[in-house]
Amino acid sequence: MENENPGKPKSSTADRFILLAVLLLLVVFPFFGPPLFFLSLFISIFLFISLTESWNLLGGYTGYISLGHVVFFSIGAFTTAVCMNCFGTSPFLTAILGGVVAGGVAAIVGFPVLRLKGAYFSISSLLLAVISQLIFLNWEFVGGSVGLWYKLMPVSIEANRVIFYEVMLGLALLITLVVRYVEKSKFGAGLITIREDEDVAKTIGINTPMLKLKAFVLGSFFAGVVGGIYGYYLSFIHPDITFNINTSLLILLMAFFGSCTTWTGPLLGAVVLSLANQLIVTFIGAEISRVLYGLILILVIIFMPNGMIEYLKMGQKVRKSQVG
Amino acid sequence: MDINYFLESVISGVLLGGIFALLSVGFGLTWGAMQVLNISHAVFAVLGAYLAYWSFVKGGIDPLLSIPMVAFLLFIIGGVAYRLVIRPVTRARDVLMGSMVATFGLTIVVENVMSGFWHPDPRLLKPSYTGTSLFIGEIVISKASLIGFAMAIIAIALLYIFLHRTFTGKAVQATWQNPTGAVLVGINRDRVSLITFAISIASAGVAGVGMGLIYSFYPSVQNDWTLYVFLLTIVGGVGSIIGTALTGLLIGLIMGVSAAFLPFIWVNILLFLLLLIILLFKPEGIFGV
Repeated sequence: MENENPGKPKSSTADRFILLAVLLLLVVFPFFGPPLFFLSLFISIFLFISLTESWNLLGGYTGYISLGHVVFFSIGAFTTAVCMNCFGTSPFLTAILGGVVAGGVAAIVGFPVLRLKGAYFSISSLLLAVISQLIFLNWEFVGGSVGLWYKLMPVSIEANRVIFYEVMLGLALLITLVVRYVEKSKFGAGLITIREDEDVAKTIGINTPMLKLKAFVLGSFFAGVVGGIYGYYLSFIHPDITFNINTSLLILLMAFFGSCTTWTGPLLGAVVLSLANQLIVTFIGAEISRVLYGLILILVIIFMPNGMIEYLKMGQKVRKSQVG
Repeated sequence: MDINYFLESVISGVLLGGIFALLSVGFGLTWGAMQVLNISHAVFAVLGAYLAYWSFVKGGIDPLLSIPMVAFLLFIIGGVAYRLVIRPVTRARDVLMGSMVATFGLTIVVENVMSGFWHPDPRLLKPSYTGTSLFIGEIVISKASLIGFAMAIIAIALLYIFLHRTFTGKAVQATWQNPTGAVLVGINRDRVSLITFAISIASAGVAGVGMGLIYSFYPSVQNDWTLYVFLLTIVGGVGSIIGTALTGLLIGLIMGVSAAFLPFIWVNILLFLLLLIILLFKPEGIFGV
């Protein structure tokens, strides 16, 4: 059968098989008894996939670059920690609550802040992160400058890691699928229109403030849920850890590196950069790793200003046009 | 409340504000003239502080005397950074965002190189005259702040003169107001951008020396300084030197007054909340266009 749409890659059934196989491998991986280090590495990768994909709902599709994603991550973490300390509930149950609280805060905060454009929005989000960090540092109820502890699960370290591995994998998968769904939906189309030209979007009747708010709240909800779980994994949280601006910037970096225009971008960016960081730290040295990281960022923005996925797509187009 | 203590807080706040103003004018310059959000601005200020520190500690050169050298070196470094990092980015579709990401990368590189070579121990510039204080009546004023302030005012004045009285400076303004028009009248945009960026970085370095006289510094202090730079630039109006300078004094005043009444930690929260509110209601800034 002729491929009717020459631009579309052929046979997604083969691709789907491969994806399913990879997923299955990932799920059963911990049961082959790999060193705990690998489980931790994967958990960290799943964390960044979750954060970057959820960030991309607003950042990539609408072009509103938020530097405050960690705020919602932290809210989720602190919510589950407080619930555990006050009520003894397991974060696996209260993580959703963490997400809801984070989403609620996002709704309140997003309302005024999303009216700003470009750099002003980004700086506002940065300020929110800074102010929130300062507030949490001085708020006794959430531990102030001492931080909060979680009660450990009554299982072995190995079992503990495996549980978190599977949960984080599940979260990363869920969030990625949701983002993919959004991208292909009318909602996503509206968001992308906002990025392309917000004024035009308004003139054709797209309710831009509502769409932006929805994307912001949804992304923050997911960040909160992830935070609720990951905090439990860390078993100790502190405003300096959870509100760390470097995390915000890393999310930005990973999304940009992969291409923030599509759902595969943040996924690729999170995986590649986390692995690259780990390789550099292991084989070259921790000090230099940060310098190399900065260099990668500079090089990426110069040579692949639209990210890796877009760069690959462009290469594919060039190759196709040369063959045809 | 002791009136003397109040006056001291206010004066030291204002003096500090002047130095923060110098730190910020360069940032506003590149933002306004080139649409470049130079996140690395503050880290170059730290570099300037380090250069002055090493020439003082190893070479015995007084920090004030090392200012011309610091300015010159950072001018060169700024030029190099422009060619390697900034210029390629200005060709991107979204210069503002692209420059944000690229300069963030630059910041990471510079901060960690400094950290690697010089270690993150806090340093302070301590020439002999900064230890003592000046007494006006019963009010105590730190000499370090006074000197830093005087230096900052002179530097800001020089920048202003450059922009408004020299040919190159006017070319910078022209490029800023109408890039296409500037090119049409024969202004070499690339040259102008290079000079603008280099001067901006040089001013950051000089500001760093001033900061180093008063505050202890280490590579990652650039995070805090960057926030102040944002604060002043946005409140003062992007690119307005006078606006930024006045805002510096204003912010310094607010800092001084609130430091007299509030616990230290809340001063920062207050300041950043203020910035957030101004951003929400008047993003062009108090003096902005």
